[in-house]
Amino acid sequence: MDKVLIVDDDVELCELLVERLSTEGFTIDTVHRGPAGLERALSQEYALVVLDLMLPGMGGLDVLRRIRAQSSVPVLILTARGEDVDRILGLEIGADDYLPKPFNPRELIARIRAILRRTLRVPSETGPLIVGDIRIDPASREARLQGAPLILTSVEFTLLQVLLQHAGHVVTREQLTETVLGRKLGPFDRVIDVHVSNVRKKLGSNHGSERIKAVRGSGYLFVARSEAK
Amino acid sequence: MKFRIRSLFLKIFLWFWATAIITGISLIITFFLGPENVPARWHASLTDTARSSGMIALAELERSGVPAASAYLEMLERDTQLRSCLFDLSQQPIAGKDCDTFADMVSHVAATRVSDFGVKYGIVRVALVLPGGANEYIFATELPAGPRAAFGVNRAAIALRFGVALFVSGFVCYLLTLYLTTPILRLREAATQLAAGNLRSRAAEKLESRRDDLGALVRDFNVMAERIEDLISRQRQLIYDISHELRSPLARLNVALDLGRQKKGDDPAFDRMELDIQRLNEMIGRLLTIARLDTAAIPVEMTTVNLTELVSQIVHDAGFESQQRSVVVALTTHEQYFVRGNAELLHSAIENVVRNAIRYTLAGTTVEAAMQHREVEGMSFVSLTIRDHGSGLPESDLTKIFEPFYRVTNARDRQSGGVGLGLAIADRVIRIHKGMIRAENVAPEGLQISIFIPELSEEKLHTGTTRDFDLQAQN
Repeated sequence: MDKVLIVDDDVELCELLVERLSTEGFTIDTVHRGPAGLERALSQEYALVVLDLMLPGMGGLDVLRRIRAQSSVPVLILTARGEDVDRILGLEIGADDYLPKPFNPRELIARIRAILRRTLRVPSETGPLIVGDIRIDPASREARLQGAPLILTSVEFTLLQVLLQHAGHVVTREQLTETVLGRKLGPFDRVIDVHVSNVRKKLGSNHGSERIKAVRGSGYLFVARSEAK
Repeated sequence: MKFRIRSLFLKIFLWFWATAIITGISLIITFFLGPENVPARWHASLTDTARSSGMIALAELERSGVPAASAYLEMLERDTQLRSCLFDLSQQPIAGKDCDTFADMVSHVAATRVSDFGVKYGIVRVALVLPGGANEYIFATELPAGPRAAFGVNRAAIALRFGVALFVSGFVCYLLTLYLTTPILRLREAATQLAAGNLRSRAAEKLESRRDDLGALVRDFNVMAERIEDLISRQRQLIYDISHELRSPLARLNVALDLGRQKKGDDPAFDRMELDIQRLNEMIGRLLTIARLDTAAIPVEMTTVNLTELVSQIVHDAGFESQQRSVVVALTTHEQYFVRGNAELLHSAIENVVRNAIRYTLAGTTVEAAMQHREVEGMSFVSLTIRDHGSGLPESDLTKIFEPFYRVTNARDRQSGGVGLGLAIADRVIRIHKGMIRAENVAPEGLQISIFIPELSEEKLHTGTTRDFDLQAQN
């Protein structure tokens, strides 16, 4: 059974969610305060953390930032509908995906499943992947840039893996959302763009040119080094 | 009326008085700075006039002695208010009073033996040599020369003096007007901005320190603006807080409903509940959108948006809805138009307008959407017009339909489904895109909503393309 931690100050909602999600085969723990949530999230017990960004005391964004400083545990953030800024900030800090609140519980279950499917995927048979000065090993989920270890969240790792597998070819935003986030691209859905932006920042530029190029109206392209010249 | 030392009344009064006094003084100065000499063509007649009175005085002197001559000159002065004196060649006065005033002229005539002319205070003075029976004498007299002598006969000089007078009075009045109207104009500017929705607008602080009625007015205005800003922001905050708070029970309701469904199986009552929960959710979402758009402090993420594509998509999606009412939505556009904006907000704004048109147009008619390029005051805009064939609106409602929860009193009723938030959102979205939206009735029937959004120029478009999906580039 996959253990999921829910950090939300709405006690009644947590109770309802525990009842609802337990029938779906998850073990749920709930925490209602930021500091306690942070402590539990870092305990390495959980396969996934569902984090409400509107927490009293230590805000959700702060909790997320501190989680990311030490752990790459998948985090699904709950945001207020329409609060784009919080949503984008949350994704930039390293959340895997977001769900606007109030949500349909079936949607929440689907998102949780999608994330768990990706992270618990049986390591593929493919060996290490090397493109230019980047080397990733899907088996151990380790990435290296010019020999130095590259710290990526699990969603970023999967994203980079997909882009490297198709190096030199455009991968559409629809494809990326489906393979990386495990769900369909919604209207005005920019989650994948924020993740690409995060990976791009971590990779830095390659002799002054972007490693990942946006192709207008279609998607993203990992530029193989030979093409960049 | 309470009389205050700093009152505007006193200020205006003193200023006008000062203007009058300064004008008067400049006139007198002009008079004193009058011409020092008499035009040469007047010399002959002035000499003749002076000579004839001089000859009479001389005749009196030679016939009856000094007292007779003095009596004659005194009589002359009494009658004409003009002084005259008779001197001998050694410049000693023989007859007349206050003869010292002529001393300069007399010495000059004694030396040169040529007639001398002068003007003082607008009065001509003449001194000349008179041949008597035995000796020669010098006669000096004042003569009236008329007002023209005071101003001279030189046209250029007249123009100059007139110009100086105009300039001085004009300048003083200019300062006065400036002093009085500047604060009023500033105040008006601030009021216009306040009315346009800039709640932070205040009249300049510098004006607040004025210690007269205008200063008090400016202070009162700023207090009023402060109060309005406070009230409106509190109202907005209230809408925001209420909507925000409503979401927690709604989130629980969602989960509880799902639990109920799970336990009791599918039931039409659950569908009913789910539909209403969704409606509530949407309404709250819209209210929050309005509250957020009204709070200018929250940044909105902007990217390059292909408006043509966006509108085409909306029209396409609306097709399904409109079929139920056998309404057709037709879009006329010739080019790809690009704007800088938030695609999600623009989508919801334009969708609201299109849906509104579909809702109110008569069954079997066409909702016509058209996009084109427009130049307004030197700026490029994309104009989007959406016209329905419904009953239109009363003229008085045309601006009010953009207010939240505004309901037109007649036919447009609650049954039609809307809660009067769609156009309010559209209005705010278009405004944060620095655009304009307005509604007008069109002949023979129907309502037309026109939207103007600043168009992205070609060069800006090209610099923006490569980073279209990059959120970092938009901050």
